[in-house]
Amino acid sequence: MNFYYDHFIIPFIIGVAILFSIVLYKYVRWITRLPKRDKLLIRKNIFTRKTLSAIQEVILESLLHRKIFRVNPLLGYMHMSLAFGWFLLIIVGSFEAAVHLKGEFLPPHAHVFYKFFAPKIIHTESGTTWEFIMDFLLLFVLIGVALAWGKRAYSRAMGIKKSTKHTRADRIALSALWLIFPARLLAESFTSGVRGGSSFLTGSIGNFMVDLLGWNTMVAIAPYTWWLYSTVLAIFFIFMPFSRYMHIFTEIPLIFLRKYGLKSSDNKQKSFDHFQIEACSRCGICIDPCQLQSAAGIDNVQSTYFLRDRRYNKLTESVTNNCLMCGRCQVKCPVGIDLNTLRLNSRHSFVSTSKADADNRYSYLNGVDLSTGSGRVGYFAGCMTSLSPKILNAMDKIFAAAKEDIWYADKNGGICCGRPLKLSGEIEAAQKMIDLNTALFEKHKITTLVTSCPICLKVFKEDYRLNGVEILHHSEYISRLIKEGRIEVSKSDLSYTYHDPCELGRGSGVYEQPRDVISAIGNLVEMEHNRESALCCGSSLANLEIRDDQQLKIASQLGEEFKQCNADSMITSCPLCKKSISRVANGKVEDICEIVANSLK
Amino acid sequence: MSWGYTINRARDIDMDRNDMTISKLILEKIPSLQGCIACGACVATCSTGALTKYSLRKVHTLVRRGEYSGLLDELNKCMLCGKCQLVCPRGINTRAVISLIKRELGDHR
Amino acid sequence: MNKEVIIIGGGVAGMQCAISLAEMGVKPTIIEKSDKLGGKLNDWYKLFPTFTSASEVLNPLKDMINELGVDVKLSSEVTKLEPKSVTLADGTTMSADAIVICSGFEVFDARLKEEYGYKIYDNVITSVDLERMFCEGSVQNLDKNSPSRIAILHCVGSRDEKVCQTHCSRVCCVAGVKQAIELKELYPKSEIFNFYMDIRMFGCGYEELYKEAQIKHNIHFVRGRISEAAQTIDSKIQIKSEDTLIGRPLKMTVDLLVLMVGMSAGKSNNSFATTDGINLNTSGFISPKNIFTECVSSDVDSIFYAGTVTAPKNIGESITEGVAAAHKVAKFIKL
Repeated sequence: MNFYYDHFIIPFIIGVAILFSIVLYKYVRWITRLPKRDKLLIRKNIFTRKTLSAIQEVILESLLHRKIFRVNPLLGYMHMSLAFGWFLLIIVGSFEAAVHLKGEFLPPHAHVFYKFFAPKIIHTESGTTWEFIMDFLLLFVLIGVALAWGKRAYSRAMGIKKSTKHTRADRIALSALWLIFPARLLAESFTSGVRGGSSFLTGSIGNFMVDLLGWNTMVAIAPYTWWLYSTVLAIFFIFMPFSRYMHIFTEIPLIFLRKYGLKSSDNKQKSFDHFQIEACSRCGICIDPCQLQSAAGIDNVQSTYFLRDRRYNKLTESVTNNCLMCGRCQVKCPVGIDLNTLRLNSRHSFVSTSKADADNRYSYLNGVDLSTGSGRVGYFAGCMTSLSPKILNAMDKIFAAAKEDIWYADKNGGICCGRPLKLSGEIEAAQKMIDLNTALFEKHKITTLVTSCPICLKVFKEDYRLNGVEILHHSEYISRLIKEGRIEVSKSDLSYTYHDPCELGRGSGVYEQPRDVISAIGNLVEMEHNRESALCCGSSLANLEIRDDQQLKIASQLGEEFKQCNADSMITSCPLCKKSISRVANGKVEDICEIVANSLK
Repeated sequence: MSWGYTINRARDIDMDRNDMTISKLILEKIPSLQGCIACGACVATCSTGALTKYSLRKVHTLVRRGEYSGLLDELNKCMLCGKCQLVCPRGINTRAVISLIKRELGDHR
Repeated sequence: MNKEVIIIGGGVAGMQCAISLAEMGVKPTIIEKSDKLGGKLNDWYKLFPTFTSASEVLNPLKDMINELGVDVKLSSEVTKLEPKSVTLADGTTMSADAIVICSGFEVFDARLKEEYGYKIYDNVITSVDLERMFCEGSVQNLDKNSPSRIAILHCVGSRDEKVCQTHCSRVCCVAGVKQAIELKELYPKSEIFNFYMDIRMFGCGYEELYKEAQIKHNIHFVRGRISEAAQTIDSKIQIKSEDTLIGRPLKMTVDLLVLMVGMSAGKSNNSFATTDGINLNTSGFISPKNIFTECVSSDVDSIFYAGTVTAPKNIGESITEGVAAAHKVAKFIKL
């Protein structure tokens, strides 16, 4: 029986053993600590089509990196060649070894060091084909490594302006990873040179080396090249579970668990969070979309750093709170990590309000009802809207034109929707607002709830349990009024551009209705960044750290795009966005309801 | 236990005795707070202030004088809606100020 | 000695500068973008702190311009400024040995403070509107025979980072006091409340005027900034503020809300600043070479300033700078 043993395989064996024991330990721990509900979900869904669809996603994302291709083809190729290329090297290599090393037992390292253990060169036609394929795959991966080197030097070529700053473990693992394939090339070339044969890559390099160094030198050096190859593999494997490369394996269970319906929660850090956090490869794709970085020069709070700090238990409240939660990074994340939820539950972990505290804190709100009117349609303007009388007036005009009987929830002031507290991590306190407002809505028996504030809209939709009440942002409501013919608007040849507020667009998925409304009134001109990639105005209530001058810089990016698209007026549908864009805009900034009210027939 | 009389607590803000540690820390973390001109716009627009005696202007001024007692309870009434931030002529991130004072006075872990 | 001096702007500073230069024997040219000389003073009624009518200041200046035969180009706007020439909107280029920029300020656009409801609610007006109404002899919505309540809000578009106006406009404090007295005299039964953050009475006679407003006219001063205004069903204005001296929110319904709009940087400053050596400060006013010793000079030898193009100023200061700039110009062109 052949064990295919040589001393140089020891580092490799140790590396693999450490790697798999740590990874296994982590997964077992995380899975056993999942709450009952999550475990039930797994049990319920594991033998369904969801598993198949997870397998499909693993192939498309973990191997082929489809989403990164969408960011930039070169960057996609880099990731794909490393992941898919290495994967194929392993698979094809195993087959090659199985075909040619005809031992009844083949240890797992045999194919890794196949060239070394192959007893003699197989000069059959099939042998040459195998060698050609293996050389080709190695070249495929090496091009990826070369691109990775290139990315370090000039990341812009791959569509990345700023790449991630790495930890020490990351740097060691990264260096080892970059050496693995060149070392393999070296080792295989030397052995080919000594023994002859091999295909276009390792064979040619081997022959060239023989000419250069002489056969005797080659024979002397060859074993050391295998030592080098085995050692860098070992270094990479040992550092992998402690570095960003933990994502290589973790993304796979994450995809399965996600398909089975597991989710992170706003107010509780759960075991499932580990899968999300360690699935982050710190690719840095989240850095460029972050306006805190591009406009305000803040460079230590982006999702990649947030997840890193949280993973290594170094998370500070300051990093956690310095985020607009605009969601621009989340739509770009190739792993699909639920970044905003993780950030929210981190914020929550810093706050210690209990439900009883919340009841006590807000006891002054019990029984407060400042509402007026008696309609079945409720209008919740929102706190910010109260500082924008044009919106209030416009909505009144529209309600009158539609002959809608309105119950005004907060015309004379009232209770906040709770979203600002929630965004600050004070989820129990937010729940108190939710309970109080829910009671008000029930008391006045409304069937529809219209709000002018996307911040309110999001919490109404996601956290309120309003049975039988339809929740609409005013842009959705107006769009419906126009479609149903309840209000009529006249069209002018003015051009408008539309800014998607974060909480309405990325947050609540409302993109079309505002555009429909604008198109009914004038001509819509899109800004460079729109819909999912729309810019944030910088005033998001989610950021508890930012300074006013930084907010202004972020808003200025929008002001610049407004200028470039040459529209007569910029339309938005959030009172907060309107205020902050007005500070920097060269032209008119209006809420969507204002232009509707002005063009009513 | 009542003895039928009380000793009046001094009303003055004793800047010789007040402990300014927390106060200094807060101003270090949010220097823009030092720019408050006490215009009162934050209080004028405040939803909580319309229903209670809560006044951010007063609370933060007390913090700056080293008078902390009772402030946490006051700040805890805030709904963090952010209207004060929108009207502040000095561009102070009032919500950050509220959270920070609450944290320093012991609400946060 | 045929030296050419161009003066951009025919407000008080520009007029005075032209007069002083003409008196020294130069024939300057005033380029004014509107159709008459006098700038914003044309729309003013009376001047603080003496209640001198604006025309008493304006007319002698206009007469002197005529008398001295100063060349005035009305309805002409400068589109391009170079050290020794200007280009007008109609494309003509005029060369000069020296240029004095007296292009003044812009009145802050109160619509930007939407929460105060200017141009949304009928009874919210600006201090500029009020001057015009004084010129016309009556103020909207106020009746001489019935009591009315008026609120005057200071610092609208001044000291406000939310509208990118970080500076103090200086003159609005005293102007607000002046207008309060004028309102009180016109409508003796009215009650007037000035809402202020700080009262800055920097000039001669200003503090006395403030005291007169308090003692003689019983104008009420409330220390607090109004955060927002709303319209009631009967078209009155409900305002919200904090009485910061008491420490409680204050609500009040008034018949009229007057916004003391501040002085913003002139719109043309940005285009002037494309010339090397002309720099803007944070609020967009042009920075003079040295605010102590060279406050009418620029870093370009042949370009000078006078008046509110460099900072908010009152009438007297603007006129004084007109004289000062003329003196510097005369020295530069070696008269």
